[in-house]
Amino acid sequence: MSKKRRLISALVFCLIIIGLIVGIILTSPPQGEKEPVKEVMRDAVLHESGKIALPIVGEVNPGFISAMAVSAVLMIFAAAVRIFVIPKFTMRPGKFQYLLEKAVGLFTGLAKENSGHKPVFIGGYIFAAGLYIFASTIFELFGVQAVTTAGRSISLSAPLSDINGAIAMGVFSYSVILLGGLVTNGPKGAGKALKDFSLPISMSFRLFGALLSGALVTELVYYFSLTSYVIPVLVGIMFTLLHALIQAYVLTMLVSIFYGESTEPPHKIKKQKDTEKRLNNHEKVS
Amino acid sequence: MPLNIDIQQILLHMLNFAILFAALYFLLYKPVKKFMDNRDKYYDELDEKYKSSLSEAEKAKEEYQKELDSLKEESEQIKVQAAQEAREQAKIIVSDAKKQADEIIAKSKARASKEKKAMIKSANNQIREIAEQAAQKLILDGEDAYETFLNSFDSEEN
Repeated sequence: MSKKRRLISALVFCLIIIGLIVGIILTSPPQGEKEPVKEVMRDAVLHESGKIALPIVGEVNPGFISAMAVSAVLMIFAAAVRIFVIPKFTMRPGKFQYLLEKAVGLFTGLAKENSGHKPVFIGGYIFAAGLYIFASTIFELFGVQAVTTAGRSISLSAPLSDINGAIAMGVFSYSVILLGGLVTNGPKGAGKALKDFSLPISMSFRLFGALLSGALVTELVYYFSLTSYVIPVLVGIMFTLLHALIQAYVLTMLVSIFYGESTEPPHKIKKQKDTEKRLNNHEKVS
Repeated sequence: MPLNIDIQQILLHMLNFAILFAALYFLLYKPVKKFMDNRDKYYDELDEKYKSSLSEAEKAKEEYQKELDSLKEESEQIKVQAAQEAREQAKIIVSDAKKQADEIIAKSKARASKEKKAMIKSANNQIREIAEQAAQKLILDGEDAYETFLNSFDSEEN
């Protein structure tokens, strides 16, 4: 490298650094307006102050806006794939086709393994649930902005870090298990599902707790200026990706296991024992 | 409600997810699964077809093997029979040849004896002629004729 080029590179680098410093100074909030950490944590958990106005419905938590955004993206993606990709599927799959088939095959396999006697519907359900949990958790990383009713700009959080979103997911999944049992085995099947009445609460709070813990740790790391450089990148991405994968796996696994149990023909006692054993192992892992 | 739990928002989330589930199920999961199932079915059929053709081929192979074995056995029998026939034929040929040879020898012997007889006869005739000539000469030439005859006979023999 010549001396002149080296000089130019050093100059450009210095200009970038100066630009960044100027940007940081200009974008820093006015002194005295910094929220205490207690408020930040409380807001991250309860979303009391950062409401967003939605036509017809009124004020909602940012989590619901995130949920709608994630759903819209996923539906557009699914429609595009259905229209442009699936008709061109070949017997020897390409990379994208392989990826899609792998995802569908993964959830179908999970459904067959845990509720082998009725895998089609539950396979589709856990596919949608897994994809939604994964995408909605990853969504947090993009930092999509929205304006609150107070006129402040906030970064949209993961839909499931809002307790209402987590409860909705848990209750919906439990309803699927309950209805599956009722349709397949009548009142006995519903009874089996009702026996695990704590399931919607455990599923909801597991999701909420896992995603919230990640959000809280990231918030804390961001809050203190000493730890707000470089570390949040690692911590935020690590927590988000891990939660996205783990929670998608845990919820889909639990739903398929309990669905399999409630829709299982009554005489298969051995299989029920196997299910309980698998469930115990799974509880240890999660 | 504690923890900012809002029933309306829970229902909104559920509605949102129900719509998403329906969309993902019908737009993505079902068509991909259908394609995968069809492909599995196609390969299963292909596999079954190959298996049945393989079993057919195995059967055909067994049949051909049996046929081959029976043909081998048959050919062995034919060989043995042919060898036996050849031996018999050879025997006949040899005996015929022997007969012919015997006949030829007999004929030759007969001819030879006939020729011998003819020769002896002609020799006898010649001797007689010579004897007659000698006798005539003797009669004509005197006592030395007998000596002359004997000498001439000796010289002829040598």
